[in-house]
Amino acid sequence: MVSDALSFDTSTGYFDYAQYKSVQRCAVIEFRLRSTAAKSRFNYRVVEVLSVVSGQLITAQCPMPNAQCTNITTMKSIKRLFNSRFWSLVIKEFHQILRSKETLVLLIIPPTIQMLLYGFALNPDVHYLKLGVVDYANTYESRELVSTLTGNQVFTVDQYLFNTEDLGEEVRRGKITAGLVIPPDFQSNLSTDQSAEVQVLVDAVDANTAGIAQGYLNQIIGQFSQGLSSNQAPPLINTQTIFLYNPGLASSWFFVPGVLGLVLTLISSLVSSVTVVREKDTGTLEQLLMTPAEAWEILLAKIVPLFVLLMGDVILALSLGRLVFKVPFRGSLVLFLGLSGLYLFVGIGIGIMLATVCRTQQQVVLTSFFINLPLIQLSGAISPIESMPIVFKYLSLLNPLRHYIAIVRGILLKGVGLEVLWLNAIALLLFAIVLLSISINNFRRQLS
Amino acid sequence: MKRILSQCQKELAQFRRDRLTLALAFLLPLMSLIIFGFVIRLESKNIPLFVQDFDNSPLSRAYTERLFATNQFEPINNFSFPILNSNKNLQSQISNPQDVIDKGLAKAAVVIPPDFSSRIKSDLPSTVQILVDGTDVNNARIIKNSIQATTRFFLRNSGLQSSTDEIIARIRLWFNPGRKESLYIVPGVFAVILWIFPSLITAIAMVREKEKGTILQVYASSLSAEELLLGKALAYLLIGIIQALLIMVISLIIWQLTLVIEPTPLIIGTLIFLTDSIMFGLFIGVRVANQNSAVQAVSLLGFLTALLLSGFIYPISNIPFPLSLFSAIVPARYYINITRDAYVRGTGWPGVWLSIIMLSLLGFLLFNAARKVLKRMQLSD
Repeated sequence: MVSDALSFDTSTGYFDYAQYKSVQRCAVIEFRLRSTAAKSRFNYRVVEVLSVVSGQLITAQCPMPNAQCTNITTMKSIKRLFNSRFWSLVIKEFHQILRSKETLVLLIIPPTIQMLLYGFALNPDVHYLKLGVVDYANTYESRELVSTLTGNQVFTVDQYLFNTEDLGEEVRRGKITAGLVIPPDFQSNLSTDQSAEVQVLVDAVDANTAGIAQGYLNQIIGQFSQGLSSNQAPPLINTQTIFLYNPGLASSWFFVPGVLGLVLTLISSLVSSVTVVREKDTGTLEQLLMTPAEAWEILLAKIVPLFVLLMGDVILALSLGRLVFKVPFRGSLVLFLGLSGLYLFVGIGIGIMLATVCRTQQQVVLTSFFINLPLIQLSGAISPIESMPIVFKYLSLLNPLRHYIAIVRGILLKGVGLEVLWLNAIALLLFAIVLLSISINNFRRQLS
Repeated sequence: MKRILSQCQKELAQFRRDRLTLALAFLLPLMSLIIFGFVIRLESKNIPLFVQDFDNSPLSRAYTERLFATNQFEPINNFSFPILNSNKNLQSQISNPQDVIDKGLAKAAVVIPPDFSSRIKSDLPSTVQILVDGTDVNNARIIKNSIQATTRFFLRNSGLQSSTDEIIARIRLWFNPGRKESLYIVPGVFAVILWIFPSLITAIAMVREKEKGTILQVYASSLSAEELLLGKALAYLLIGIIQALLIMVISLIIWQLTLVIEPTPLIIGTLIFLTDSIMFGLFIGVRVANQNSAVQAVSLLGFLTALLLSGFIYPISNIPFPLSLFSAIVPARYYINITRDAYVRGTGWPGVWLSIIMLSLLGFLLFNAARKVLKRMQLSD
């Protein structure tokens, strides 16, 4: 279809299309230009030209005017395999993505960093809270109480102080999280079977930690006082707690599925919008639109390679979660990959919609900031949805990421299948259809 | 000095002209404030709880009522897809409590055994089983503690068992007695917002000069690297101040967030922190080649560290060892200390002087780094 040799006017850097009158269909021509200027890192640069409807003249400027054109190859094997316009476009896109280092870096580095950072840095476990102690009693029982508090690593004694004022000052300055005051009559009250009181000051600037510390304090002191009196009957109601899905309460198991969804959203929307917009910025979109290919063909050809590469990202993120954080995988892998694929279409749809709405790269990145922020915050990736105000709770139903995270947590941690997740899956499907059709429509409108 | 001022003036004029950036510069912080401020709630309220009562006696019903009376739990109502399952009798239909948790309808299930009341009446201990959805670790723990505490309270209050506690802990929560999470989160949000957005617009502005080639004119002019950086910094500092005022006023209106100390530490801290943020933006701007990478760098380096390594969500002491070293050079961490002190703790200067020194130091380092890069590119006189 395309001749093997192509003369190139090395002085102007233009080649003449006229030689290609015979080219009837769209094909990918690859030019390998060897720079004669220097054997620099630009030694091999490749320009891709999409040929257009026959008879129309198109010139492609060489990136380096004095470059020498050698060795023009057509992709014969591919041509034989997929002798169609669509496949040629797909291959072109593949090459374009794989060649730009920036996109490849974008596909690998940010997801990895984000997975690791979120997984390691977010940790709600309460360990070694600093405790300051003022022990006015200084008896066996009071010391026992302190050692019980520090026994299970929730608290650690930071310092012993001698009066309540100093203790208060330390809490005020945030040096210690909790201060325990044991009164002088502690021992005597206990021995006369009166109830002894201890005072605890908790720094509640961090409301969440303070709440957990308060719970632990009550629990540990309650248990301790029960152990003191042997004649007391055990409590009439025992509570036996079983933590489902995450018996060891590893916090990364909660965050990893959330971050997996978050990373995929960011990457898929960004990469797809950047690929479309770059084409606009460099003006090659016009050339694309001039080809006999249909709008949907151009768009789909853009989506297919992205989709394949992003599926690689899904696997990358999943393996990171498995290998680094030992997150279990209890459900079906096929279902996971299928629904992740579906979700990628949502992300790509968002990206292309942004790209067709915005004019420049700058606008795209800023608007994606504008969209991604609520998308992430209203997804339940970091803070649970149940605790949001009611308005935001309902808004979160319109968030595709929320459904995807529910799916990932369901499959990975709970090991449930479609019988539970079908509503989320349908929601994703709807989002994918709506977003993709909007972006195809916008894209087509750009044609006219 | 005069050159710095005119550089600043030029920058502001340019900034005003770009409508989209202008809108986003003030809309984005505002939107982030509202979303972060409302949505980040670590501790769940209204946790859907499923009770399977095999006993169904007055005692077990009283116990169930007690659980729901805490306002922390609510009967399952199938929030996930309210339109599809508006069945009021959901509670009675379900036979397997794990199934309810699998489906995400409830976060916890309490199973009361058939001999519950008979055993208690004959003074024998009875065991109630609690199944907790462990996916959300933080809340799993809270749910467990809360059910246990309620159970103890029920025993004592219903007169079934006299006070078992010989030691009574009088716990006082300081600074935030109601444990309002907005009081903890919102001052932290200030740091996140004032770290990303001023640095983002500065980095974009800096990199745009490079993309458009106008930076060459600057190089050729007699303007020095310091003057250029300071001029730009001054312009974006002014914008940053407006952003800071905006979010502070809005949080005063929405969350009644008021200062508990005299404002000087906050004012000085904010100014230095904004400068840091802008220096960071300038540094990114001179390092990277295009706007896209600038935004990537700011969001990856700036946003993630400010969000994750600053103690904004969970305390810094929870960050594991090698990462915790990084958090020492995250300016947002020091600014969070300043805002939480100004809005919640209220120690004033004795509590925050170190943070302010650290912020100044980091700002100086960032400025120097940016200056060095720019100097290298500039023609010497």
